[in-house]
Amino acid sequence: MPVVAAALVVVGACGGGGAGQAGSRTLVLGYAEDLQTLDPVVSTDQNANDLMYPLLYTPLVTYDTAYRVRPWLARSWTLSDSDVVFELRSDVRWQDGKPVTAEDVKFTFDLAKDPATASPLAAAYLTDVDSAEVLGPHRIRFRFSEPHAEPLQDFAWPPVPKHLLEGIDPAHLADAPFGRRPVGSGPYRVVRWEAGQEILLEAVDSFPAALGGPAAIGRVSYRILPEATTRLQELLRGDLQVDGPLEPQEAPRLEGSKRARLADFPWRQFTYIGWNTRDSLFRDPSVRRALTMAIDRNALLQATLYGHGRPAVGPIPPWHPYAPHLQPLPYDPDSARALLARAGWRDTDGDGILDRHGVPFRFRLLASQANATFPDLVQMIQAQLGKVGIEVDPELLEWQTVLSRHRARNFEAVLTNWVLDNFRVDPRPLFSTRAANTPGSANRSSYSNPVADSLMEVGTRTSDPERARRTWAVFEEILRRDQPFTFLFWNDELAGVSRDLEGVHMDARGELFTLPDWRWTGQASR
Amino acid sequence: MLRYSGRRLLGAIPLLLGIVTLTFILLHLAPGDPTTAYFNPNIPPDVIEQMRRNLGLDRPLPVQYLDWLRSFFTGHFGYSFSQHRPVAAVIGDALPNTLLLSGISLVLIFVLGCAAGVVQAVRQYSAADQVLTLLALAIYSVPGFWLGLMLILLVSSPVLSGWLHLPISGMVSIDHEYLGWWGRVADRARHLVLPVIALGLASAAGVARYMRGSMLEVVGQDYIRTARAKGLPERRVILGHALRNALLPIVSLLGLYLPLLFGGTVVIEYVFSWPGMGRLLYNAILARDYPVVMAATFLFGALVVLGNLLADLLYAAVDPRVRYDGR
Repeated sequence: MPVVAAALVVVGACGGGGAGQAGSRTLVLGYAEDLQTLDPVVSTDQNANDLMYPLLYTPLVTYDTAYRVRPWLARSWTLSDSDVVFELRSDVRWQDGKPVTAEDVKFTFDLAKDPATASPLAAAYLTDVDSAEVLGPHRIRFRFSEPHAEPLQDFAWPPVPKHLLEGIDPAHLADAPFGRRPVGSGPYRVVRWEAGQEILLEAVDSFPAALGGPAAIGRVSYRILPEATTRLQELLRGDLQVDGPLEPQEAPRLEGSKRARLADFPWRQFTYIGWNTRDSLFRDPSVRRALTMAIDRNALLQATLYGHGRPAVGPIPPWHPYAPHLQPLPYDPDSARALLARAGWRDTDGDGILDRHGVPFRFRLLASQANATFPDLVQMIQAQLGKVGIEVDPELLEWQTVLSRHRARNFEAVLTNWVLDNFRVDPRPLFSTRAANTPGSANRSSYSNPVADSLMEVGTRTSDPERARRTWAVFEEILRRDQPFTFLFWNDELAGVSRDLEGVHMDARGELFTLPDWRWTGQASR
Repeated sequence: MLRYSGRRLLGAIPLLLGIVTLTFILLHLAPGDPTTAYFNPNIPPDVIEQMRRNLGLDRPLPVQYLDWLRSFFTGHFGYSFSQHRPVAAVIGDALPNTLLLSGISLVLIFVLGCAAGVVQAVRQYSAADQVLTLLALAIYSVPGFWLGLMLILLVSSPVLSGWLHLPISGMVSIDHEYLGWWGRVADRARHLVLPVIALGLASAAGVARYMRGSMLEVVGQDYIRTARAKGLPERRVILGHALRNALLPIVSLLGLYLPLLFGGTVVIEYVFSWPGMGRLLYNAILARDYPVVMAATFLFGALVVLGNLLADLLYAAVDPRVRYDGR
């Protein structure tokens, strides 16, 4: 032991640590996991997209703080029901000096649409876009397969450089070196990427003034710190300026800290219980309604997320311009019991568990143990449903196992969450009859309701925003009645942010979306 | 000795082949595959199907296995599914980091363990012996990850962090590239302090117990009494005669601790954000990154086999009674 102590003193004494002068100071962001690729065409990883879309690339359109579409690489557009023509900026350049042109945009579009590429970008944005046609060096036309709602949302993705990616076999695009050494067009460029350690970014001096000009902070280090305790300590010590995904139970530790504050903002993720509507227990909508009313969702939100979330009724986030703002079903165990009794579920043998035709109301609730809040949630749900006479067997398993069983619809009920990968309202993958009949689709509850189907068709097809808003309100009312899911809450996202930073605004567009505007305290804004 | 080593290495080939084959089978028995590991649930089934085709996962398992063997024997190891680059590059980044961490821990384990053991044996039943025994047992019982977290909280505490600004994560500081040569060495050393302690301290405590026992046994031997009777100074008796013989059984511990160390790096690398093999393997298993898991298991297996061989050879080298090539 004395030897160790001596070594500690010797080695500890000779280090200054910390960062350099204010101007050249590197901004350090701490995240739990390394990214997989920085090529937007093949990226499957939302964290990577949140970093590269706003910082490394220039999407055609962007979003303002109210989540409305705004021009970005596209200066302006002419929109009709069948096509859109974009005028692109001529002052945006690839980080190797070549200009970004309509050819790059068309190349990216064709590459993503090629089935061999298996591009998640195409799946998220391009389902209703048919073809692209270059009209000039900075002019491009996209044709839609049919008129649809929110057509400009189809273009919130960035082009990749044609001159660097041309000729690569789309099936092996993911393995191309470009993914780890990207050449983008955004306000930052990648200096180096050391796997499992850090991705170092540097501001691009020539970034066009019309898009905000060069970022105020010159160097940004995206550091990989898997252990939450380590991350939080680094933040409190001042060696880290943003602690990315902060767990709710860590939030109190930031209270009263002189170094850091808590950022709490709406996010794109909701937590829900999915009922397998093909299971005889959950076939009846009134039973599913009773289950929802027997679960005190607000208590769950307070206990597991310490209130950092919002009530949920359906899949349209409360901050979305189309959000219908309905009230969720109330927490009302008595009405739940009455509904269950009407459906034939009564405790006839006096064992405290409801039964029907001699079969007790008992089911297994599947959940991933990897999620920090799920074990607690499952226990609370078990206790709350127990009070109305329903027995829950928790099944906490490894994430992949849960996912493959959920996907194969080999479950009774599952506690999980859903993350939006774009801001378009399109619940069809989750709730349409078509998806219900497609094996492996996201409608794993096999929910099917012809009225909901036609409402989703109208909502996603109409180009009239007012009509769309009304349609979604009716759709969510139907969901509230049918309860294919028990929506528990919309999760807020939390982050620890150093007080050394100014201008940090975080919202559902992504934690790092406004990073080019951040500056060190006392530094002039850009 | 050479013939013996050759025989052992030849014998290791079927063993390692067995290890990778078993790993391959177990990996594919586990639910899910690399495409289901993607967190984004919105990707439609036909896109996922195409991804599986692009990764070659739609082919029958025996074909995939033979394909892997072929790529293995050509030294290529395939592409990592989750890092999208050659597995050789992935391992090439991580392996040196783990070897550095576990190599230095190994030195710490044996130097510290032996020193403590000798002190205890020489002053058997003294206060120092009792305190060290208690400490060793306490440290030995502490799980590495907990010790790691406690060390992080300790050096980050307001009292200590002022004068002892030890890094708690990563391998180098943010300003590493601006430091001079000596500055860089010191920077790396500072980053090693906590992980090495967390990884090695428990094993050092174990070695101390072995060393104490071994030393006590030797000190009771006739030749030690003879040495003392000749009037040799106590220092030479202990360090020159007793220690050399007491070290013999400790050498064989080396081989035993090697796999233990590699196992320990998984947790320690996670806690201290050390980009090494343990964390790589752990993440690769979660992501079902088959090529990386296969290559990493093979390497761990090979290192353990080599470590054991090394220990046996060292044993023969230090103990003239042990001979491997029969005569």
